[in-house]
Amino acid sequence: MRIVTLTLLLCGTITFAQDKAEVKELFWGKDDPAKKNITVPEKWKKESAVVIYKNENYDYHKYGTSVTYISSTRKRIKLQDQASVKEFSEFSFRERFFSNKAYGWKRGTNTIGIKVIKPDGTEKEIDVDAEAITTDQTKKIAIPNLEVGDIIDFYFYTKEPFKSFDAFGFDPVETTVADSYPIMDMKLTLKTENDFFINFNTYNGAPELMEVSPEGSSERRYELVANDVEKNDFPRWFYPLVELPCYKFQVYFARSGKFEESAGGFLPKKENIIKKNVSTDDVLAYYDGRFKPYGNLGDIKTYLKEHTFTSDEEKVKQVYYYTRHQYYTRFVEAFVVKEAKIMYPWEYYGMPVFFNSEEEFINHFMAFLKDQKLDYDIIVATPRNNGPIKDLLLKTNIEVLLRVNTQNPVYLQFFTPYTNADQVKFLIENSDAYALKVSKGKKVSDIETIKLPVSTHKDNRSERKLDVTFSADFNTVNLIRESSLYGHLKDADQDDKMYFFDYVAEDYAKYGTKSLLDYVKNKKKKEQYTNEFDALKNKLKEKQKKEFKESIESEFDFTVEDHTLEVTATGRFGAGTPFSYNEKFTVKDKLVKKAGANYVLEVGKLIGEQVNIEEKDKKRANNIYQSYPRAYNEEVIITIPDGYTVSGLEKLNKKVENATGGFVSTATLTGNKLTVKATKYYATYYEPAANWKDITAFIDAAYQFTQEKILLKKN
Amino acid sequence: MKRFITLLLLLASATNYAQKSIDPTTDDIALAKELRLKYAKSDVALLFSKEVVTFDINAGNVTVNNNVKERLMNINHRADIHKYEFYDSQSSIENFSLKYRNDKTANFYVRDEFHKSNDLFFADSRVKYMTVDFPVQGYTYNYELDKKYKDVKYFTSIYFQDEYPIIKKQITLTVPDWLNLDIKEFNFEGYTIKKDVVKEGKNTIYTYTLENAEPMSEDKQAPGPSLVYPHVLLIAKSFTKNSKQITLFSETADLYKWYKSLVDGIQENPAALKDKVKELTANAKTDDEKIKNIYYWVQDNIRYIAFEDGLAGYRPEASQNVFAKRYGDCKGMANLTRQMLKEAGFDARLTWIGTKHIGYNYSIPSLSVDNHMICTLFKDGKKYFLDGTEKYNSLGEYAERIQGKEVMIEDGDKYIIEKVPVAASAQNKETYTGVFHIDNESLVGTISGNMLGESRASFLYGYNSIKNDRKENSLQYYLSHGDNNFAVSNVVTSDLANRDSNLTLQYNATLKNKVSSFDNEIYVDLDYEQEFSEYDFKERKTDFEFDYKREYESVTTLQIPAGYKVTRLPEAFKIANDTYAINVSYEQKGNDILYKKHFLVKSATIKKADFVNWNASVTSLKNLYNDQITLTKQ
Repeated sequence: MRIVTLTLLLCGTITFAQDKAEVKELFWGKDDPAKKNITVPEKWKKESAVVIYKNENYDYHKYGTSVTYISSTRKRIKLQDQASVKEFSEFSFRERFFSNKAYGWKRGTNTIGIKVIKPDGTEKEIDVDAEAITTDQTKKIAIPNLEVGDIIDFYFYTKEPFKSFDAFGFDPVETTVADSYPIMDMKLTLKTENDFFINFNTYNGAPELMEVSPEGSSERRYELVANDVEKNDFPRWFYPLVELPCYKFQVYFARSGKFEESAGGFLPKKENIIKKNVSTDDVLAYYDGRFKPYGNLGDIKTYLKEHTFTSDEEKVKQVYYYTRHQYYTRFVEAFVVKEAKIMYPWEYYGMPVFFNSEEEFINHFMAFLKDQKLDYDIIVATPRNNGPIKDLLLKTNIEVLLRVNTQNPVYLQFFTPYTNADQVKFLIENSDAYALKVSKGKKVSDIETIKLPVSTHKDNRSERKLDVTFSADFNTVNLIRESSLYGHLKDADQDDKMYFFDYVAEDYAKYGTKSLLDYVKNKKKKEQYTNEFDALKNKLKEKQKKEFKESIESEFDFTVEDHTLEVTATGRFGAGTPFSYNEKFTVKDKLVKKAGANYVLEVGKLIGEQVNIEEKDKKRANNIYQSYPRAYNEEVIITIPDGYTVSGLEKLNKKVENATGGFVSTATLTGNKLTVKATKYYATYYEPAANWKDITAFIDAAYQFTQEKILLKKN
Repeated sequence: MKRFITLLLLLASATNYAQKSIDPTTDDIALAKELRLKYAKSDVALLFSKEVVTFDINAGNVTVNNNVKERLMNINHRADIHKYEFYDSQSSIENFSLKYRNDKTANFYVRDEFHKSNDLFFADSRVKYMTVDFPVQGYTYNYELDKKYKDVKYFTSIYFQDEYPIIKKQITLTVPDWLNLDIKEFNFEGYTIKKDVVKEGKNTIYTYTLENAEPMSEDKQAPGPSLVYPHVLLIAKSFTKNSKQITLFSETADLYKWYKSLVDGIQENPAALKDKVKELTANAKTDDEKIKNIYYWVQDNIRYIAFEDGLAGYRPEASQNVFAKRYGDCKGMANLTRQMLKEAGFDARLTWIGTKHIGYNYSIPSLSVDNHMICTLFKDGKKYFLDGTEKYNSLGEYAERIQGKEVMIEDGDKYIIEKVPVAASAQNKETYTGVFHIDNESLVGTISGNMLGESRASFLYGYNSIKNDRKENSLQYYLSHGDNNFAVSNVVTSDLANRDSNLTLQYNATLKNKVSSFDNEIYVDLDYEQEFSEYDFKERKTDFEFDYKREYESVTTLQIPAGYKVTRLPEAFKIANDTYAINVSYEQKGNDILYKKHFLVKSATIKKADFVNWNASVTSLKNLYNDQITLTKQ
């Protein structure tokens, strides 16, 4: 069902009714370019639906501090099967709502129009007011008389008034020209006037935005027109905005030069200029003075006094971890008890300083670096899935970090409880970025393009050791697994497997701080809070246990029983410190197939489920974008039961390696221990489509390995 | 970053921190621990739940007052729940409150919203709810609800169980002498429910008590609650006011009379259907064809959209409106089918029915008896039951959910009670034949399949709901179960729009990694479907209902490769009882191995009592699927 988040009161005033008529005229009036279009090209006859016309409009007007923002979408879609009829058969929306932008001072309105055009061209407009039913604040409409072969033509028109006293940036738009259905014609329009600043550009062969302002008018009008657009089809490992025709834009409202400064974006010099690109000069100008060394260094200085370091590099890293605790993980328990309504925690910390934003982090750390007379640069980077930094257009696509120019530079980013001081986020790794030179720890004086560090599959790796034994009847396989994850392979797994109680105690011990409840002096209160907090933690631990089991089951694609997991190392202090855990579990009635007195063991499945590329995906036109190079190293040690010999080991020796990565496996038998080793690695961040066959070569080998079996033969 | 606590419901209410005085007592904690051992999957238990029902007369209607008092205890470490109650245009909630153990009000914010459900486009029912946290084990709240029903006919039943286990449940009905109320007891068997009846003045007081009631199960594909759980059904037959007796639903005829009054109130305009009926029947050579053209057109072109809006929840929409809108609920679709058939000259009538989900029949005059409407066609002395909400249902075949169920067919001022015929499993039979030879480590061959009845209907519905541009891939995916080792090609099917003919599928199949060669032996895993092995009911608490009665037969032939002989075939598995039959066997016939499977589920339900047998069968079946053929080099 199509749900459009758009609020309500039934008092349809006269003005709103007038507006509604005007809105209708806007889309379906005499100037409707798609009015007569009811046929779709032969080539798209087998599609589920075809967009005959798509029209998106963004309209920005103001009167003093009062801004009226109007956005609308109209789509005229030929529905060619039941699936698409179902998709467009119900609409829901809110008629009135309060703007969440700046200061909402009067209600915004949503106007919706829907008509159905039959194959013979007859049109029936839906009487939205009469047909809609109201539940709480939402209106719902079931579209009457909608059948396969019909065209549904609808618009959503949102008028959102608000007041902005200084500068305001509208939500950025970043999207491919193509949609989930093919599009015959599309038009995007922007209408602005003075005090509105536009950043807009198109990429990867998308048509350009053209100015079509009416002569002699203060209104500026722009259009992007495209036609004959095939539907989107996103393959695996793909960044659509890097490769497909797309457009990005953001509009800012700023009433004066002062506000233009503070707008928080890279505004064009004048309203009549569309900014298409953010240059190094723009970045330099923007960030000059944006960050400043600021923050109370008392805590850090105390920490420095109490510790010695082998090098500046080491000092910076250790201070980073210290601040991660002092201004972040120290308060995690407080956030938890607050959310769980156990107690009001903040009174116990005196004046708690908690970093909420990248900016607070950067400023505070700059203050530290300046104080220590350590040379550093501010790095402006953009995640690789946005495209290269040279194409930068939107402030929201930027991530800021610090590079401390020690012998081996240290890159520091705003933290999570797990961030490493020696590895940057994978999405900005291996990308070009701008280094803003900070002279004398103060002023940004110069800018240069740098390459952010890369990591390799040796950095981002998992090491797993699986010990396998069988019950006497072979119905149960007992498994013990030790896992250690390094580099970026830790990122998601730490977050999945650990709750706050798995790491805060480690920080309290390391930095000599106290847990929240240690601050509570009142004995009775302390007892109560402790009981409640323990109850919460116990409940979460039960949940965690379930999650552990689900996680391993999805990893292996079979059910396991009696699963336990124990985290042995949190891996929170450097990319090379492993996140480690030990698991024990059993598998029943799987993995072993009976063959008379012998047993066939599906040994390949013990390395976990492997990616399989379906036949239809073996051909690929798009280039391949990986999050980061990585390697999965598996060691499986199987104890062959007494009275059995093993055969079929030759199939376990595989080796497919090329520049894109590889899969290598070996099997060796020593006494009654069969050791199977398998390594699968992806060597690069990016490969051109032409190399897809190289990637699939080792992926296929790994998949085939999971299908291999060995025979346990009764002597 | 992951939210620090993902377990908690999103708390939007005003923060109120728990007070020491209301912490659980040591006894409470001990009790909570004990209860948790017994109800390991529940966070909360109701220590008691007392429901008191009284009756009044207001504006000529018998009204109902329902008072509920409960004590909720957290038996897990911590609990975060929504406490909620539904109401609608026929009922109102006067009091919905929680108190702490010390009897002070717990001011949790009460939300009041429309009931939203994916299955319902619109319902007039609303829900009041509060988000409640129990900070420690043994923590308790006292809950109280006062709810009023404007008309006794909408207050149909009281259940003993809840989503939480109940240590003691008491239901008290105070029935005044002026009210003739029939209390029917259902599913009491297997439960120790104490019943007391005392006469107090001008009232008769019925008290039912059940101790240690298990929580209601969350099993999917389970029978409806009226079939499983103990409850009382209330039938207000009549009442006396000012010495005058007023009949309510005294007998089935009264129910019909009320239904009929609603139907008679529909402003029908069959003329609006004329052209469409003409178009659908113009080229039809036989009556059968005319009926099918109309019935199938309704199935295919009227979208099912569920509305529950007060009386409109019982009154069918006018046929011309359903026709014009091309959508409707079951009643609207039944009415349109009826009017179109009438327009084409047939005798077609509205028909009320309680689906398989409901455990009552029309001997009971209650709104709880039915939940669905269909259309009955009278033709040549026979009755055909047409359910417009079905998809790809062939005329004369009936969906499992209505088979064997009583119907109430309109017949002027009278009504006809009949039963929808019951079909055997064979009506839905699926048959598959596979012929394979060994090619390296793969099995290569062809498969052909055949579907009938509901297996065909569900396949056709699934297939036709897929986007056009994905149909081909989806069909391949369906046939190969998305198994990467199962390559399907050259699929040829019968007409996938035809719901009457045999549905056939033929395709080439390559099954990789099914053959393992070691030394002089080849092991062949000839099974690629593992039918029925997923129906393991070890954790189930309630009967399992298949979507329809199943019969499934397959024969897979493997050509024995030259130079090899069969040294071992897995042992057969065979069982037959009143509920189901399974026969899976391997045999060598000349140069072929035949792998035969036959499954028969006689009624679509596997009863809880049969689970032990059934689970043992599934275990044997899994063992067999796990076994392999051994071929040895000669």
